Amino acid sequence: MHESERTSVLVVDDDPDVVRTYQRYLEAEYDVAVAFDGEEALDVLESTDADVAFLDRATPDRSGEALLGRIGERGHDCRVAMVTAVDPDFDVLEAGFDDYVTKPASRADLRSTVERLVALDEYARNVRQYHSLVSKRAALGPEETDAESERSDRFSELDARIEREREFGVEPDRLLEDAAFVTAIRAIDDDARSEADG
Amino acid sequence: MADRDVDGYPVGDVLPVEGFETVPEGTNLLVAGPAMTGKRSVVLDLLAAGRGRGDRTLIITTDASANRIRDQFEAVGGRVSPSYLQTIDASGSGGSAGGEGVQLVSSPSDLTGIGIAFTKAVDRMDDADRVRLGFLSLSTLLQYVDRERAFAFFHVLTRRASAAGYFGAFAIDPSTHEEQLVNVMTSVFDGMVELRESASGVREVRVRGLSGVASAWHEFPL
Repeated sequence: MHESERTSVLVVDDDPDVVRTYQRYLEAEYDVAVAFDGEEALDVLESTDADVAFLDRATPDRSGEALLGRIGERGHDCRVAMVTAVDPDFDVLEAGFDDYVTKPASRADLRSTVERLVALDEYARNVRQYHSLVSKRAALGPEETDAESERSDRFSELDARIEREREFGVEPDRLLEDAAFVTAIRAIDDDARSEADG
Repeated sequence: MADRDVDGYPVGDVLPVEGFETVPEGTNLLVAGPAMTGKRSVVLDLLAAGRGRGDRTLIITTDASANRIRDQFEAVGGRVSPSYLQTIDASGSGGSAGGEGVQLVSSPSDLTGIGIAFTKAVDRMDDADRVRLGFLSLSTLLQYVDRERAFAFFHVLTRRASAAGYFGAFAIDPSTHEEQLVNVMTSVFDGMVELRESASGVREVRVRGLSGVASAWHEFPL
């Protein structure tokens, strides 16, 4: 996510009415950028970091899927939801999308999708931060590597508890939902990629 | 005693460790041992110990083909029909074809692919209430993926397995990594089975992090 507090959302659809409607639904809470075709969407992403993008499945010059591929190739760390008129007859997750919304999308549909995807992205970031904390502690704490058992057991028990009780922002039960599970892993993959590029 | 009423995952015969009889639901164990200490066999034995209860098995392999894993699992008494065993082959070995019981992922570095394959494998089990999850091995994955990404991946995977009430056993060869890396990885897991060769050349094992199991070393001859 970029520096500012507000989440930024990109809406891509070739129908100006649809774009305007979604913009109206979203702009009270989010920074909204719009694009009417795939080229424009890529241009927008060059200059602004979107946290979440809504891609119309049937944007004329590029289908939503092709545009998604380009977004991935360029290393944009952006969660992507497909907007589609009919329920998709393929595996949306496998196609690289994090979620989908069926037209006509209501204000509530769009917002809950943004919130859900942002929460999973943040979860991935929190876990990475947690990794750096644990790494630091491991570098400092010789007692953790102590082979004599009772004491180091208590340490690892404590660690396990800290781990379990720590707030990562997403309850473990949420990960039972396949889309959330895959999106969290994809966010980890993407984070690493955009960091390597930057 | 009606076996079905027993909570947790029985593992009684696998290790000569007092108290290590049943692993609670939602537990993920790291199985750590250098080469030639049989950690792969221990993982497979922990998984196969569920055959009497009809537990399902899901094995993610990054270092051997699905076919080899199936043969090895069958050799230790595991049930290998697709409704019992699902394998995710991310070894990139080309040694197996995808099929009813096998999901192929192009490389160990494709974490998203492994995640998607996991959801499909679970879908294909006719009954995914009780699942033993094996991962062979963390060490191979760490050759392809940086530590932070690997850590985060195992965090998400173990949390899902835990929320679903599975029992997970994940192999790692600590001798191929810095000690610190292994310590960091252990924080993702609930406990650890450690294997080593003693000074006199006898294999030993201990279990750490599980309540009711003392963490003393026990002889465990190969």
